[in-house]
Amino acid sequence: MSYKLINLENITKSYEGQRVLDNLNLYIRENEFLTLLGPSGCGKTTTLRIIGGFESPDSGRVIFDGQDITNLAPNKRQLNTVFQKYALFTHMSIAENIAFGLKIKGKSQEYIKDKIKYALKLVNLEGYEHRSPASLSGGQQQRIAIARAIVNEPKVLLLDEPLGALDLKLRQDMQYELIRLKNELGITFIYVTHDQEEALTMSDTIVVMNQGYIQQIGTPEDIYNEPQNAFVADFIGDSNIIDGVMLEDRLVKILGAKFPCVDTGFGRNKPVDVVIRPEDIDLVKPKKGIITGRVTNLIFRGVHYEMDVEAGGYTWLVHSTDMVPVGEEVGIWVDPFDIQIMNKPESVHEEAVSVEE
Amino acid sequence: MKKFIQRFYMGLIFLFLYAPIVTLLVLSFNSSKTRAKWGGFTGQWYVSLFQNTEIMQALYNTLLIAVLAALIATVIGTMGALGINHMRRRSRAFFNGLNNVPILNGEIVIGISLMLLFLACRMTLGFTTILLAHITFCIPYVILSVMPKLKQVNKSTYEAALDLGASPIRAFFLVVFPDILPGVLSGFLMAFTLSLDDFIITYFTKGPGVDTLSTKIYSEVRKGIKPEMYALSTLMFVTVLALLLIVNLSPSEEKLLQGSGNGKKNLLSPRRRRLIFGRVIPAALAAVILVGGFYYGSKTRLDSDNQVIVYNWGEYIDPEVLDLFEEETGIQVVYEEFETNEMMYPKIKAGAVAYDVVCPSDYMISKMIDNDLLAPLNWDNIPNASNIGDMYYRTSQQFDPGNLYSVPYCWGTVGILYNKTMVDEPVDSWEILWESKYRDSILMQDSVRDSFGVALKYLGHSLNSTNIKELTDAQQLLITQKPLVQAYVIDQVRDKMISGEAALGVIYSGEAIYTQRENPDLEYVIPKEGSNVWIDSWVIPKNAPHQENAEAFINFLCRPDIALMNFEYITYSTPNEAARELIQDEDIRDSHIAFPDEAELANCETFTYLGSQVDATYNDLWKKVKSS
Repeated sequence: MSYKLINLENITKSYEGQRVLDNLNLYIRENEFLTLLGPSGCGKTTTLRIIGGFESPDSGRVIFDGQDITNLAPNKRQLNTVFQKYALFTHMSIAENIAFGLKIKGKSQEYIKDKIKYALKLVNLEGYEHRSPASLSGGQQQRIAIARAIVNEPKVLLLDEPLGALDLKLRQDMQYELIRLKNELGITFIYVTHDQEEALTMSDTIVVMNQGYIQQIGTPEDIYNEPQNAFVADFIGDSNIIDGVMLEDRLVKILGAKFPCVDTGFGRNKPVDVVIRPEDIDLVKPKKGIITGRVTNLIFRGVHYEMDVEAGGYTWLVHSTDMVPVGEEVGIWVDPFDIQIMNKPESVHEEAVSVEE
Repeated sequence: MKKFIQRFYMGLIFLFLYAPIVTLLVLSFNSSKTRAKWGGFTGQWYVSLFQNTEIMQALYNTLLIAVLAALIATVIGTMGALGINHMRRRSRAFFNGLNNVPILNGEIVIGISLMLLFLACRMTLGFTTILLAHITFCIPYVILSVMPKLKQVNKSTYEAALDLGASPIRAFFLVVFPDILPGVLSGFLMAFTLSLDDFIITYFTKGPGVDTLSTKIYSEVRKGIKPEMYALSTLMFVTVLALLLIVNLSPSEEKLLQGSGNGKKNLLSPRRRRLIFGRVIPAALAAVILVGGFYYGSKTRLDSDNQVIVYNWGEYIDPEVLDLFEEETGIQVVYEEFETNEMMYPKIKAGAVAYDVVCPSDYMISKMIDNDLLAPLNWDNIPNASNIGDMYYRTSQQFDPGNLYSVPYCWGTVGILYNKTMVDEPVDSWEILWESKYRDSILMQDSVRDSFGVALKYLGHSLNSTNIKELTDAQQLLITQKPLVQAYVIDQVRDKMISGEAALGVIYSGEAIYTQRENPDLEYVIPKEGSNVWIDSWVIPKNAPHQENAEAFINFLCRPDIALMNFEYITYSTPNEAARELIQDEDIRDSHIAFPDEAELANCETFTYLGSQVDATYNDLWKKVKSS
């Protein structure tokens, strides 16, 4: 995990005056499973299409394996794409679909036959050679699209929301399938999705994007546990994002109460955003908490209860396996290492947004 | 009961839809030349159809133009659709709208504007201009049928093909093209049938000597449609029917899908098979028919400057005469036909096409002289003109004073045709057409000048009268006659009289001879009050490129043996005295219908051109007669 296979340098792209990517810099390491994550319109798909060669940037360079491929046609690039809507060739059989790239490269009949067999085995669809794409289910079609891409032995596989059209159960199955494929093939995956759960499950690295800017790059754990700004915190999972003042190192004042934390280096009396994940809040006896409040709402979510707690003039979102009835007075306790302190947003794109998806 | 009504209703609809076609089909096997009589079953019209080089040439032109126009329009249209589809939304909407304009536009507008454009570009109207015109009007239809398919195409399949290493062109042909192929094919077929069918645009953009089936059939109408045309139309109908049956009887998609799921080696995907049954086989069939058409129709064409461009009425010359002329003089004949004087005139006047020799009627010749459109003849080059009887030159003076411009070719009279078994009294006056006992047995010509001519002559006036009092009297007379008249018709006088559907009819003498041959009970008379005598003569337009060849052509037609051939073919009276001497059949040579003596013609006049204002008056008066 060291060699930087792809390097995007200062990429800017606009559509009809609308800036989609603004001076984007990103590298992708060899054998990495990298996910571009963000709400629709954040520029993630455009980034992928620039890597694939279907769009050219207004400015900036794409370096692939040490070579500048910014203006190289897509058919000359050593990567393959799995499209959101499968994009199978409906007038061809499954075998013909898979053989498409190989035939163009002029591979021998024997080689192609072996490859088709291998690829179908890899995606668990042996014996489907002579079916027509229309006769397959969505999940099967997507696996054929993957098979069609990987027989070409690309160094990088680009996946553009490949599971977007599938239902929930199938989507989860396919996530494991993709991880398995990635491990068996040992190639780089660049994956685009707006589904944070998908990103957290599969990725080595997640790139969170919003409004054409990269918000945070990190491992799934980093992204989840230590969001760098309100947007990331809000987009990844549920969060309580509360205004606070950093009184000194390791002490933050929230809603009039002083919470011990582990963050340092913000200076004294500095206004900050404080992120507390709902599952990190412990509901204790009123007097044992740092701040006290009252439960105003309760929903059963299966693995946990979701509760709203009014405390200090803010509605705290709390996830807990223990149920506290509505109307009961509770104390709120948060372990110092569960409190994440962030600087106030410097620009609009770092602000928390309500994401419909 | 309800079911019966339902079925009856359905039956009625189908009867209305298909009765005309069945009639056509039956008539194409009728050995009698007239529609009215069943003369027994025959296949002769089919045989003579394929032997008729003119029709075959027209068929050849039609197919060649249709195939070329459809092919080229399909290529251009498909590329156009691709271009439009890749535009931004606003320009796409704009160009789509622009594309629809020619479709909604009247054909006549397109025809005229194309003709004007071709003329402005100094192109000679001919095969090329027809082809260009057809390509032009077919393109929007191709775009229209490719567009929806293109919109359905998943844009990422093209990108997927690029992604898998295909070059853009290869990706298009391997991936996008198969998806839009049904649209492209139906665009092609649509263009093909539109081109095949087109009359109006072809009519305006065609030049002399080039005819497509539609213009050819149209030009046949003047003398009544020949049975060969029934045969041709029947063949076209059967061909279309066969294509339709194959398209509709091809295995359905569902069945194909079921059949292909068995995992056997089935290299044809369902869509491909549907494509083959639904499109490729019909296309192949069409191709076979085309090749057949070409095989029959192909004829070597010579292009030389030594030619004469003839503009004549349809069916107004024995085709063999043209061959003989070419053989004897080495001058190539480019032959084109017109249907009415009024259609011929603007073409000459516009100078769009330079004709060498034209055959207009009397009054039109005077109009052309008035408008300085004709060249004086060099009589030294037409020695055979002396074979034409003096009497005809005298009559010609009425429209060609001094006999400077015209050589009479055919002539005739207008008179009453009557059925001897249905009319007892002697017929010698127009008066009988106002006899109430013949109510509903009288046929009048559906034409202003012919009808007014009858009334004016009956009243003792000139049939070129411009006196409004005389004209309104004539109009009044025609209105009183109207309840007695069975129909105002043109061609049908002939058929209706042969079949005995009417007792009396106003008819041209040339037609009268023909009807008498079919039904000996019919007799023709020129009423004593006088009537119309008409002469069609050869003239040379001022802008004729080959005047000497034109004179040679006229001279050739005046040769007695040639004039005889034409007389036997056309059956209209010949002014050529020498030719008349050669007629073997005494009955015809002395026929008072074909060759009335000068006394009978004493009160007869030719029509003269009355000027547009008087024309308008005539038309107004006639309209009131028709609508009274």
